[in-house]
Amino acid sequence: MRIHFSLALSFVSLAWLVAPRGAYAQRPDEHAGMAGMSMPDSAGPSRWHVMAQAIPVLTHAAHTAGGADLTEGYLAQSVLMTRGSLWRGHAQLDATLNGEGLTMTRGELSTGGFGEGYVDRRHPHAYLHELVLTGVGSFGPFNYSASAGRGFAPFGTDDPMMRPFEKYPLNHHLAQILERGLIAGAMRVGPAIVEGATFGGDEPTSPSAMPRLRRFGDSWSMRATLLPRPGTELQASYARIESPEQASGFGLDQRKRSASVRMISRDGSRYALAEWASTAEWDGDRNVEAFAYESALAEAAATVGPIGVAVRLEQTGRPEEERLADPFRTPRPASDLAITGITRWRVGTLALTLPSVTHGAVRGYPFVELARLSARSTVATSVFSPERFYGGGSPWMGSIGFRVRYGPLHARMGRYGVALADSPAIRALGVSADAPHAHQH
Amino acid sequence: MPDPNLGTGGPRTPVTMSVLGVGDFVPRRTTGELFVRGNIAYTTTWNNGTASSPFYIWDVSGDPTLIDSVRVANASTLGDIVTTPDGAYLVVATEYSQGSIVIYSLADPRKPQLVSRFSNAETFAGVHTAEVGLVNGKPYAFLSVDPAGTLAAKLVIVDLSNPAAPQQVFSKFIGRPYVHDTFVRDGLLFLGLWNDGVAIWDIGGGGKGGTPSSPVELGRVQTVNGHVHNIWWLKDPVTGSNRYAFIGEESPATGSSSAGDIHVVDVSNMSAPREVAFYTVPGAGTHNFSVDEPNGILYAAYYNGGVRALDVRGDLGTCTDAQKSTPTNSTTPLCDLTKMGRELGIGLLDRGNPVYIWGVQYVNGSVFASDMLGSIWKMRPVSRP
Repeated sequence: MRIHFSLALSFVSLAWLVAPRGAYAQRPDEHAGMAGMSMPDSAGPSRWHVMAQAIPVLTHAAHTAGGADLTEGYLAQSVLMTRGSLWRGHAQLDATLNGEGLTMTRGELSTGGFGEGYVDRRHPHAYLHELVLTGVGSFGPFNYSASAGRGFAPFGTDDPMMRPFEKYPLNHHLAQILERGLIAGAMRVGPAIVEGATFGGDEPTSPSAMPRLRRFGDSWSMRATLLPRPGTELQASYARIESPEQASGFGLDQRKRSASVRMISRDGSRYALAEWASTAEWDGDRNVEAFAYESALAEAAATVGPIGVAVRLEQTGRPEEERLADPFRTPRPASDLAITGITRWRVGTLALTLPSVTHGAVRGYPFVELARLSARSTVATSVFSPERFYGGGSPWMGSIGFRVRYGPLHARMGRYGVALADSPAIRALGVSADAPHAHQH
Repeated sequence: MPDPNLGTGGPRTPVTMSVLGVGDFVPRRTTGELFVRGNIAYTTTWNNGTASSPFYIWDVSGDPTLIDSVRVANASTLGDIVTTPDGAYLVVATEYSQGSIVIYSLADPRKPQLVSRFSNAETFAGVHTAEVGLVNGKPYAFLSVDPAGTLAAKLVIVDLSNPAAPQQVFSKFIGRPYVHDTFVRDGLLFLGLWNDGVAIWDIGGGGKGGTPSSPVELGRVQTVNGHVHNIWWLKDPVTGSNRYAFIGEESPATGSSSAGDIHVVDVSNMSAPREVAFYTVPGAGTHNFSVDEPNGILYAAYYNGGVRALDVRGDLGTCTDAQKSTPTNSTTPLCDLTKMGRELGIGLLDRGNPVYIWGVQYVNGSVFASDMLGSIWKMRPVSRP
């Protein structure tokens, strides 16, 4: 009850924060990052972007955990997001409330997915997904910003929610660091951006969990970004996270690396991303590496007439942990430091997004996704046998649903202040035909 | 001075332990712990990911032969399994929710009959290990309860005097981040507290007034690298020595490799125990122990390292500089049981297929081992040199 009340209060507070200034939509159904407003703007009014989204989705997963064939429906990615400038552009606010803790408590079928005590399902995100206040400024050729709050540590690639697939990539917990209490700084000089942050390593233990104050500052990350030409972004990052899976702080630490190339056309109609990410779990007591997982991912999207087409290829290593009576859940916290194996997943995903079937303030974009997966143990003699666990068949998933959206589509998620490069939204995510194909900022 | 009878000349070549038999059935599930009493063995199944879990019953008088199985409801994993000291009852620990111990009558050891199930809000998260021992003649179970969410791990002590109605007599949040296992003997309770090391409690035999319902701590020691998983306090009936406790360190294991040493702690002064020696196997880590006390030989399950037999009789804390090594991530050299010639035997690495040994037990002239990749092995013990 308390959780529901807090969520309702948060939504109301956010609405109040936004409403007096008037929701501003730079374009009818998309807006980009904050780069265009990253510098103090003494002349312009405050600008606010609000986006509400929910995705009713029906998923069939064949040969998923325990060899089961399951068909389930959810309201996924139910979010209320706002970005805006404050104090004549000297500050920015990024806020995202996520309702998945209410709409998909059991998690979303996602064979091969893992994280936060869920496996073969994607976990619901925290109600307070992101609340970051950023101050921006400039000095000569230097543009800088400082951010604080709960949100994304500067590491890796964009949050999957702003990428052209409903199903998250399996490497979500290798390639992004999110929902952390953090203090971050960024500096941009011409085409180069450098970011750093310190934060608490503990990942959320439930949708209502907040970062533990005593963990704040035990972890850090850095990210360097190069923008060689408009629409092209090279990124490399490194992070050290203390005990993300044991909130008490006595679990294995993580050392993470990421590198990526992202390209997007001026109007967002063509998009491509290639990324590599790795996570080494570090036994700090013995000062040795315990386990390591690696991921390579390539995805691309384009609009063909009114249709959005997206393809993703991914290979990701996943730790296999003891499972509860519910085979989609693992103990949190775990009762020791052991895993039962590492599975190498390969996934090919095809997504089609159709034109909006609605008009006006609320739009619905139908989509269909198909994913074919394969799983092999990296060591044939591991205790965990994917062939045995998944019943020997080839897992696949099919999903149909609607992206129901109010307000302009956010283009990026996972960067703040001057670290947020110019970019349009990816049109294959669903941007209606009557919307201008304008590059943002 | 090094023990004059043993190990002054450096490492010895360990013998390969002879295999006497292997289970005639390989469960589709992962095998966990085993317990053998007489000619009957019980093996649990682990990480089933289902609402119920079976344990298996074997006749081990010859080659291990499956007799029967018993399904335990509301248990996705079975960890420990042990009989009461008189052999009248079998106690099975269940994880996760609903964590419990399930008690069976062994009036017919081949056909365990359910007597009771002990579970309450304090055990609900899951009972990771359950040890059973006598304290002043009364049987008690010592439950290491899992942490769950924001709840810390807990030790729960249960009076089994009436197996049909077990009574909880003590509980305490303990361990950093968890209490993992216990060892009870002569009114002393040894607790494996992971990164909080090993604690020794008087629960009726320590002379400090402790009882199972009101334990008194006698001492505590941090072993190298923490990760304290299990304990065996040795009482050598030949030499009369009760000087050493053996501590298992369980470091990260992958399901095909493992890490973690055996740490030897001198407990001659219970209020100030100290680590004096260790045993390490490159590329493998220890799990559970069993000691053939009349012969002074410790058998350790070593996951992918099979079974290791160590000579633990005599002075383990005195050695030459050449017999010392520095444990991983430590700066202090300690006596190294391998260099002291204490490694007597290695088992199950000659099978042609990999093994992943969870538990081991010396009983009545045989050594039994549970294999997470298989079922149960029966081996010939090693001989003293």
